[in-house]
This record gives sequence, structure tokens and C-alpha cells, in this order.
Amino acid sequence: MKKLVATVLAMAMALSLAACGGGQKPSESTPPAAGSNPPASQSTSSTPTDAATEITAWIYPVGGWGDEAKVKPLIDQFTADTGIKVNLEWLAYADGDDKVNTAITAKKAPDLIMEGPERLVANWGAKGYMVDLSDMLDDTDKSEINAAALAACTSTDGKVYQYPMFITAHCMGINLDAFKAAGADQYLNLDTHTWTTEGFIKAVEALYAKKNDTVAAIYCKGQGGDQGTRALINNMYGGTFTNAEHTQYTWDDPNNIKALEQLKSMPGIAFDASLEGGDELKLMYQEILDMAFCWNIAQQLDPASAHGDPGKTMNGQEIICMNFPSPDGTPVLQGGIWGLGIFDNGDQAKIDAAKEFVKYMCDSENAAEAAKISNFFSARSAAEGADLSNIFADNAIMTDYNKVILPNLGDYYQITTGWAGARTEWWNMLQKVGKGEDIAASVAEHVANANAAAAG
Amino acid sequence: MAKQPTMSRALQRRENIAGYLFMLPCLLFFIGFVVIPMIICILTSLTDTNMHDPGLIGGGFIGLDNFVRLWGDKDFLAALKNTFVIVIVSVPTVCAFSLWVSSAIYRMKGPVLSAFRCIFYLPVVTGSVAVTVVWAWMYNNYYGIFNYILGSKGLGLIDGRINWLGDEKYALGCIILILFTTSVGQPIVLYVSALGNVDTTLIEAAQVDGATEMQVFWKVKWPQMMPTTLYILVITTINSFQCFALIQLLTKGGAGTDTVMYRIYWTAFKLTEQAGHFGYANAMGVVLAIFIGLLSAVQFKLAKEK
Amino acid sequence: MKIQSGSSRAYRIVSVIILVILAFLFTFPLYWIITGAFKSSAVNNSPDPAWWPPEWVTDNFKALFEKRTAPLWEIFMPFGSFTNPEKNRVVLSAGPDAPAAFRWLINAVFMAVAAMVITCVTAAMAGYALAKKRFNGRALLFSLIVCAMALPKQVILIPLLKEMSGLRLYGSLWAVIFPTVGWPFGVFLMKQFSEGIPGEILEAARIDGSSEWKTFSTVAVPMIKPGIGALAIFTFINCWNDYFMQLVMLDANNVYTISMGISTLQAETSTDIGLLMAGAAMAAVPIITIFLIFQKYFTQGIAMGAVKG
Repeated sequence: MKKLVATVLAMAMALSLAACGGGQKPSESTPPAAGSNPPASQSTSSTPTDAATEITAWIYPVGGWGDEAKVKPLIDQFTADTGIKVNLEWLAYADGDDKVNTAITAKKAPDLIMEGPERLVANWGAKGYMVDLSDMLDDTDKSEINAAALAACTSTDGKVYQYPMFITAHCMGINLDAFKAAGADQYLNLDTHTWTTEGFIKAVEALYAKKNDTVAAIYCKGQGGDQGTRALINNMYGGTFTNAEHTQYTWDDPNNIKALEQLKSMPGIAFDASLEGGDELKLMYQEILDMAFCWNIAQQLDPASAHGDPGKTMNGQEIICMNFPSPDGTPVLQGGIWGLGIFDNGDQAKIDAAKEFVKYMCDSENAAEAAKISNFFSARSAAEGADLSNIFADNAIMTDYNKVILPNLGDYYQITTGWAGARTEWWNMLQKVGKGEDIAASVAEHVANANAAAAG
Repeated sequence: MAKQPTMSRALQRRENIAGYLFMLPCLLFFIGFVVIPMIICILTSLTDTNMHDPGLIGGGFIGLDNFVRLWGDKDFLAALKNTFVIVIVSVPTVCAFSLWVSSAIYRMKGPVLSAFRCIFYLPVVTGSVAVTVVWAWMYNNYYGIFNYILGSKGLGLIDGRINWLGDEKYALGCIILILFTTSVGQPIVLYVSALGNVDTTLIEAAQVDGATEMQVFWKVKWPQMMPTTLYILVITTINSFQCFALIQLLTKGGAGTDTVMYRIYWTAFKLTEQAGHFGYANAMGVVLAIFIGLLSAVQFKLAKEK
Repeated sequence: MKIQSGSSRAYRIVSVIILVILAFLFTFPLYWIITGAFKSSAVNNSPDPAWWPPEWVTDNFKALFEKRTAPLWEIFMPFGSFTNPEKNRVVLSAGPDAPAAFRWLINAVFMAVAAMVITCVTAAMAGYALAKKRFNGRALLFSLIVCAMALPKQVILIPLLKEMSGLRLYGSLWAVIFPTVGWPFGVFLMKQFSEGIPGEILEAARIDGSSEWKTFSTVAVPMIKPGIGALAIFTFINCWNDYFMQLVMLDANNVYTISMGISTLQAETSTDIGLLMAGAAMAAVPIITIFLIFQKYFTQGIAMGAVKG
């Protein structure tokens, strides 16, 4: 016993020496050698550090930006060019929102954040936590940036809380080899990558007849990847999710109820409360499911982020992108718009440093590299004279996607007020429908909840 | 020397000073990080505080409105029910199971006994997150090991698959099972030593009187193990309220597994657009604290009677 | 001695069989973590489980170590965040960049050991006072402690977070350690133990002119040592497993514990099971090794807790 206590105490002593207090914003204790280093020094470690030249950036895993190895060189280059040190932290979609909200409550929000308007504009921006970036946009910028993206990044009172960086349209992925084996490829229009709702239903039937197991899953464990389930249900019979003014949730539209009833009646479709979007697309990569509703170009280039071959499942079967099925083959796709926002932590020096970062990544010759890392399309045609419209010209998959998927991009309705609450209502509703509760009643109840939250 | 009454007063003062000095370090932490937050929690529960309100409390006083709202909140009541299901199911089963295991192993030879003790203690030291992650894989609907074993490629007991964590019929049970495996380790160690410490002369006397093994167990050993049992009840109850990691990592409160503990977190940091959500989350905390206080009071009343 | 009856023997055999099956079930998750960590992604992704890795690969660990990096250690100036207007911590020394998983492990051990040591000291003192000092307000304090014992931390989540923010501890391991120390179960346990110290011995020490502190440290502490051992184990494991406080209070890669690290990996890449299992193995194996080495003390310590508890 004595020995044990002694060991434990020794360990404790050793470790308290290594007091790992931690913190996301450590500043160097070595005092800056006054004026000896020019700010543009190439050395990252001995850059003169007045505290403002150190910022924290929290990154949601937006395409390739979730990969530290890919992002690090660009950030290091930024530090070398500007002398501003960036502490990067990655968030996950599963619990990122809670994390940011916790940090805001503890008054330690990051300086920079990368995500989409539903969070940066409609949530944190509307609550007054973000810095207005409209002074960074001159008329040239405004003409270069995709108008729809900029509109989504602008709040109702004209403030820009997010500098748009990349855009995409979310689509679905299918295992073409499995479709061919089941004779279901006849329902696909492989030129336009579209299909009709009727074709979709018949294809699921054919696939189900072949394998006698789940073909596709309406995943509803949480909010992760919910744009896929929303797009499917809205497109099947032309329902809507919100009204055009983004003030009210309208997913109790009879067309959506019809779609839910149709999906529920199909034995090949499972409502699965144990899956989120990320789990679902992995199952397609594993060839367990034949379709994934949570798909986009970044997935097509690197299925399930497994670093396998582009557009292939784990055993090399072919995955293709498809538009969501609609009555007449004219889908309306959900957009993805990502960019950078700046939290107002009351320190002008840090805000200025963060703005420098935004400028560097979004509005300079580096914007091309930043967009390439993401595997998404740049949100602007050109930046400071550099052409960004064709950065993926040498990539056949991207070019194809640009032609058949992107033009179907629809309204960016995620900026409706009460969005976070509405998402919770949505997946809870799907779970209830999956359990076999009355569909119309469940839909009505949850839409009402979402609208109540939006009004409050 | 002073007279008797003054002396005892001086003594009392000495005891007070010494007592509080000894209590001081502990009280700093206990009051600082338990009592004060609890008081703020109670005060906040009477307001409509939001995340963006500055200061410790921030919102306006709204009396008991939050509690009235909770009373009519279906989701909260379901979560409250689940919380109690977890406690009511897991506490007795953990106690009964560990009692049975201990009585079966306590007379075994040294190495065998410690091997069994270690094995049942393993899930505790594996760490809650590591355990949860591997169970999530085993429960997986599509490629988990349970469905493989029970399904057509294994024993063929089920058609198709069981969606363990996605189906309301199973999900809460699955979570209780994991909680169970991480809870029995300590009670088994405790019961083994308690059984080993039972007064043997009493047992022999009973055996001479012709008592059966069952009678010896319930009439002689069981009463002597009462303090251990009460201690186990207390720690198992505490443990059952610590199931946050399981819910967060496995179901996010879906499929009928929401608990009050999880709902507080969700209301505070996910539903940030809901008006007065901090006040509301604190009101949930107060309700939970009241129930837990009652539960502890009952347990200690029982402890005093024995 | 009585001769064993037939039914009793049958019961024995059946119970041994059941025990062996149970033992298998209890070890299986750990087995599955360790083998899963060494299986290739093709094997892990296959719907048919491989009971034994067809070939042992270390790719998962490589991926885990490359995924995130952090300085191996960082020593901060105490209260450094109060010395500058930006509330930044002041780094006194930082280790070389290393795979973050190692830093997470160091953080977790530091956190659990610090919580354990502080709890043992404060709880032993307080338990002794509650049991042996007849000070005013003792009964009230004790009932307060009993009531707060089973309280889950979620109840005080929001106030605690704001408090930690005010103390500038949010985002540091101390924000997890202090509430763990404040949790009064240890005081309760130590009070039960201290009840067993005979009053006459303390009285004798006092008459010999021993000061209060000396009486406590040289007479009382040796007598409650087994209890302190039990409490140390209990606190260490409890703090290690307290995922919730870690989730709420820790905000960056270089302060994460190994539990937080794995859960972040799960949230980011639930798709890569091998990577997750490698992380889980990193978390589980060191503490299991310590447990197996000190197994005797572990069980002794806990068991002694029972006698008095």
C-alpha cells in the first residue's frame, strides 16, 4: 500500500510539473524583440507577437477543409505572409453547434468560423455575435460573387455576416452497378442525371426484389445530413419546406405528406433512427445500401472520405451523382454555401487580424487554392484578377457536375428563423413516421412546434 | 483554570475553529462549485434567461412559469420517465446480479477468484467513451456483430435485422445493458469481500442446527451484508444518473432514450432560439434535483433504520 | 462437515458454466476494440465480421497519429490569463509537436491524478472533522452533503459554465478538476471511515500536547488510510469517465482528454471504425495495464471501502 501511494504521489508530482492547463489561445511568453523583425518575416516561431496577431479559427469539416493535412500548408503560408498565427480547431457537425454555443456562453468564442449562413447569419449573426463584413465588399467583389450566395449571407437588415467562399448543390448518389444488376438503370436518365418520382419508386422496387433487403434509408438519428431527407421528400411531389419569404415552415404541405406516405409504404426504404447522414453514405460506400441521399461533389470525389478511388465504392463499383427524383424530372436542389464569419469578441485588433485572414482566403489569388482544398466550387468568378470559374477544368467529375447538377440549385431556405429548432423537429418527426404513427398528425404537430419556435 | 461553563464554551469555540479549519479546503470546492451554482440554478429557473443575456442570470423574473410549462411538456415528461426507468431497472438488477456472481465466486481459489473479479471490473476501467464506441459498432443495424450472430448467417434466430439503437422497443434496453456492464464491477468486489468477512461461527452454528444453504444465506449472511448492500445501492444510483455519454454518443436522445440529463444539455446549447431556454433548462435541473434529493433521503432513511 | 447434496453440486456446475459465459461476454468488447484497431479498413468495412484479424496492420494507428497534432505538453503560468488584457494564457514551456493522441492521454492522466490527490486531501480532512469535531452546524453540513451526493452535474451545467468563464478556467483541465473535487461523495465516505477512529486515542494525543493538525496527520490519517485508498481509486475512475464535464469545459485539441479525443473522432469520422478502435485502444490499454498491475490494491482498497461504508 505504501509503495502504491508513493508511486501515485510521484506520478502526481511529475505531472503537476507538466501542468497541462491548456487553452486555445496560448500566447508566447517570450517578449517581442522590439522592431527587430519585420512583420512579413518568414519564420513562424519568432514572429513578433503582439497578442492581436494570434487568432483562433474553428472549422466545420466543409469538404476537404476537414482534413488537417490539406489545410495546414495554406495556413502556414498565411502565417508566413502576414505574421498572424492561426490556432485551428476542427468541429464536427454532430456536436459543433453545441460546442460553439458553449464557448459563446463562456465568452470564449473563436475569432473566425467556417460554416454556412444558417448558422453564421440566421443564428449567431442575428443574435449579434458576429461582425458585419459589408465593408470588405466593394462593387467589384459584389459583381464577382454569386448573387444567390451573397444574398444568403446577408441578413434581413443588410449586414453581411459571412464572406462566401464555396458553393455546391447537394444531390444523391447511387450505386450504378447495383442498379444495372437489378435492371433498374432503365429508370435513370444518364444524360441529365435526372429521374422521375415514378421511376424512383420502380427502381427501388426492382432493387428490393433483387436483394430482398433495405435499398435506401431515411436516416433520422439526428440533424446530420438532413438536407438529403428534406430534398428527397420535397422533390418527390413538389412540396416546399418554407415559404418564399423564409418566415414560416410549410412542410405540412400535402405534397410532402404524400411523399412521406409513399416512402413509408415502400419495403425497400427504411426509416432508420440509428443513422445520420454520414453513416448512410458510408453504408453505400460499403455496398450495403444502393443509394445515398446525403451526397455532393466532395463525396463523389472522395466517397465516404475513405481516400479510395473517386466515384467508386470500396470494391470498385461505380457511384454516380443523381438529381433528386421529381414528378417531371425537374428537380430543385438544396444548396450548400460556405464561408468565413468573424465573432465579435470586443477586441478590434483580433477582428482586424481575422479580416485579414478572410481577405487572404476569399479575395486574393489564394482563393483558388482555398476552394480547391474544399472540393467545392468557388463562390465567385474571379478574385483580384485571378479567374476562379474554371479551377476544376481538368477534373472530369467536377465538370460533369457543373453541367448536370449545379444548374438545378434552388432557393437557400436554411436562413429561416428558428432553423436549429426546426431541424430538431424534422428528425424527430421522421422518427415518429418511421415508428408508424399517423403521418399527417405527426407532420402537423412538428411543423407547429417549429413555427412556434420561429415566432418566439 | 476557569469555571466549568466557560470552560466548555472555550472548548466549543476550539472545536468550532478546528472543525471549520479542517472543513475549509473542502468547503471552498463544495460551496464554490456545487452549492453556489445550485443556488444560481434555482434563481435562473424562475427567469426567462437566454444564452445572449449578459451576466450570471440576466433574464426577467417570471415566477413558476417554467415549471408550469414543464408540467405540460410531453418530451420532458417522457425524458423524466426514461430517467426513472433507467434507475429502477438498473439498480436492482446490478445489485441482484453482483450478489449472485459474488456468492458463486467468493469460495473459489485465489487466482480464479481474482481472474473473475478482474474480468467483471474490466468495463469500468476501459473508460466510458471507449466502451460506448465499441458497443455502437456491435449494435450497428447493418454490420454489427449482434445482428450477424442472431441473423441468417449466424444462429438464424431472427429474420432480417434488429435495429437495436434505432427502434424504440430496444434502444433504451440496449443503453441499460451497457450501463449494467459498466456498473457491476465495483459491487462484485464489495460483495466478495463482504461474504468473506461473514462471521463463520454463526454459520457453523446454523449448520449444526440443520439449516439449509439457502437458509444460511438469507438468515445469517444477508443481514450481515446489509451495510455493504446499502453502500452499493447508493453508488449504483449515482452511477445510473451518469449515463450522459451513452445517450450523447449512441442515440442523441432519439428512439425513446431521452433522459432529463441529456435534455438539459440539449435545451441549453442546441435549442438556442427557443425563448428563455436557459431558464427552462435550469428548471429541468431543479426538478431533477428535487427527485434525486427525495431518492437520497429515502435511501438514508432506510440506512438509519438498519 | 456435511456431504454435498446432488442438487447443490448440479447448481455449482451450472453456475460455473454461466460464469464462464458471462466472463466471455464481459471481455468481448475489449477484445473487439483491440482486434478492430489492428484490422485493415477492408476487413472492418465488410458486413461479415472477422473474428480474428486476417493480418495485423498498424494503419489505423498511423492514421490516428497523423490526423491531429498538438504540443506534447504545455506549462502555463498560474493565473497568467489575468496578466494581459486579451485574457490569453501565458505559456512558460511547450513541448515538441507530437501526435495529439499522446497529448490527450497525458491530459487525461494529469486531470484524473490531480482530481484524485486534491479530493483525497480535502475529503480526508473534512470527513475527519465531521466525524470527530463537535462544531456547530455539523449536522446541517452533513445533510447538505448527503443531499448533494447523487446530484448529476447536468443540473448545474449553465451556472457552472458561467462561473468557470468568470474565473477564466473555461477551456482548461482545472474546469473539470475543481467540480470533481467539489462533489461531496468523498467527504461522505471519509466520514464513515473516521467514525471508526477511537476517541480515546485522539484524546490521548491531545493530552500529550499534540496540535490539532498533528493529531490528524499522525494519528487519524494512518487509521483511515484504507479508506483514502478506496476514495483515490473511486475518484480517479470517476474523473476519467466523466465525459460530460470534459465535453462542456474543454474546447481545444491541446486540452482534450483521450475520451474527448475519441468522441471527436467519432463525430467527425464515424465512418472509419479502425481509427476509432485505435483511439479506444489508446484510451483503454494504459489504464487497464495499471489496473492489472495494481489489481490487488485496487480490489483491496475498494473492498475496505465496503466494510465501513
